[in-house]
Amino acid sequence: MTFSKLARKNMWRKPLRTVLLIICVAVAFLIYGLTASFVAGSQGSSAASEDVLGVTSVAGQSQPLPIAYLGRITSQPDVETVGYMTRLRGFVETENNVVSVSATDPARLMAVTGPQLGLTPVLIEALGGARDRLLVGRALANANGWIVGQRITVTSFQIAKQDGIRNWRFEIAGIFEGESTSTDTYFAIAHYDYVNASRALAQDTVSAFILRPRAGVSPSELAVQIDALFANSATPTRTQSEKQFLEAFMRQYADVGMIVNLVTGAAFVTLLMIIINTMIFAVRERRFEIGVLKTLGVSRRRIMMLVLAETLLVFIVGGGVGLALTKLATVLAGPAIGLTLTPMIIAKASAIIFILGIATGALPAFNAMRTPIVSAFRTR
Amino acid sequence: MTNTQPYISIRHLQKGYKIGGEAISIFDGLDLDIPNGDFVAIMGPSGSGKSTLLNMLAGIDRPDAGELRIGNSYLNQMGEGARASWRAHNMGIVFQFYNLLPMLNAAENVELPLLLKPLSAKDRRDRVRKVLDLVGLSGRERQYPSMMSGGQQQRVGIARAIVSDPGLLLCDEPTGDLDRKSADDVLQMLRFLNQELGKTIIMVTHDPEAAKYAKRVLHLDKGNFVEEKRAA
Repeated sequence: MTFSKLARKNMWRKPLRTVLLIICVAVAFLIYGLTASFVAGSQGSSAASEDVLGVTSVAGQSQPLPIAYLGRITSQPDVETVGYMTRLRGFVETENNVVSVSATDPARLMAVTGPQLGLTPVLIEALGGARDRLLVGRALANANGWIVGQRITVTSFQIAKQDGIRNWRFEIAGIFEGESTSTDTYFAIAHYDYVNASRALAQDTVSAFILRPRAGVSPSELAVQIDALFANSATPTRTQSEKQFLEAFMRQYADVGMIVNLVTGAAFVTLLMIIINTMIFAVRERRFEIGVLKTLGVSRRRIMMLVLAETLLVFIVGGGVGLALTKLATVLAGPAIGLTLTPMIIAKASAIIFILGIATGALPAFNAMRTPIVSAFRTR
Repeated sequence: MTNTQPYISIRHLQKGYKIGGEAISIFDGLDLDIPNGDFVAIMGPSGSGKSTLLNMLAGIDRPDAGELRIGNSYLNQMGEGARASWRAHNMGIVFQFYNLLPMLNAAENVELPLLLKPLSAKDRRDRVRKVLDLVGLSGRERQYPSMMSGGQQQRVGIARAIVSDPGLLLCDEPTGDLDRKSADDVLQMLRFLNQELGKTIIMVTHDPEAAKYAKRVLHLDKGNFVEEKRAA
């Protein structure tokens, strides 16, 4: 027997109530885990680098920048490598099968983010064979069942060819795997020259430049330098890290982070009230036994720890189950949904488990601690 | 404390309660001496202050004024934490309704007071086995209170009270919920603990038969001892 065993036995003395509480906590942490994983995964921020900078128009990511900016950016002494890309968004076969193609200079892309995307010289060489070749990310390839050598047609939402047709035909030259499972590979890479030469409008423009600072250079200071270069031009720029860039991209649709905070906040506040209420009743039912323990010499502090340990156990078990279910969901959902359970999410969830476990147990524990033995014995 | 001093000394003890705004005095200058190794039965009508006195002797209630010394400890001067620690090391208590924790088995209930002592798990198990053997419950270590008779539960209660080897045993109507046979068994056990192991026992009871097992019987009425009898 130990005091922790006593806390465990107390916890399981009403198994149905405890199981319901654990389910309640598990569901709350499942909601938290799924929403946080969605934010991390869909924004690609788990794998996004703080060191890679993206340069877009200050008017928004949908506004193009002249490719002529390339020379001025490259000439900056603090810039190591620069790439560029035009985003071609469209669908394949059915309108709900949306794909994103980044039309770029493959060699420059390789220099900037090649290792992160899992690009290899063999893949770049394969892409270079013809202008209409395409490298497809593993997640996108798996979602569509595409294989190397297959021909696909992407119907663009906005970019039309000079003949007015929005169908872009590509041949899949290879599949890139991404550096890790959290790397966003739900897109394809095409030749900028092919898209630029064929499109009807906005020729010689790009959606964004991407660059990597030289070693030892602060990315945030370089971002300020780059924006200063174009501050008085017709198209001023906004330079952000890849992480900021992706988050800003998602914010075009909704502030997902805020939605997540509101949803999980509401879930946790409800949870807090339910468990505090339940624990107050559970401790009240046990006042007599608390009196017995105090009579045996158990100190007030230890009584408080017993109640806190009990609520903490409920949260640890429930939170653990919730996070395990989240992990299962991320595995079953596959990369197309964009769920990524990162170590940071697990660390945050663990901190919330601990804080809520203590917070919900505090009031009943305080009551138990303060209960005078004489009045506890009157409750029988 | 010198050898000439009584083990328990109560001087000018005062205790009262407020009920509905009205002050009610339970004790107003109570004096009592109990030597080490005594077995005292306290009898008296309801409301005479028996349980209040026992609560103060157990350190779970404090006198309003006066002195209450047990051994070298002045309970009237101690805070709640110090009294809890004192209880853990110096006193065992036996309740009328046993007050065992229902989710713990016999051995676990008996082991509870030992969790407050710096003992290894093996030492704790050995002590539990020994006292359960002493109260005649060998082989019932894993039984839960709900599986035991009243007499057996009370024996577990006694085992829990003596497992820390305290000098003082307080018993609050220990046979009040038992049939005559079980009550006699429990009282024999208390007599054994007093005579063979030297425990000082103070027992509150309504039962004159139970009181016969004590060395002294004190009658309490309206907060004062009105009669003292020596056992035959």
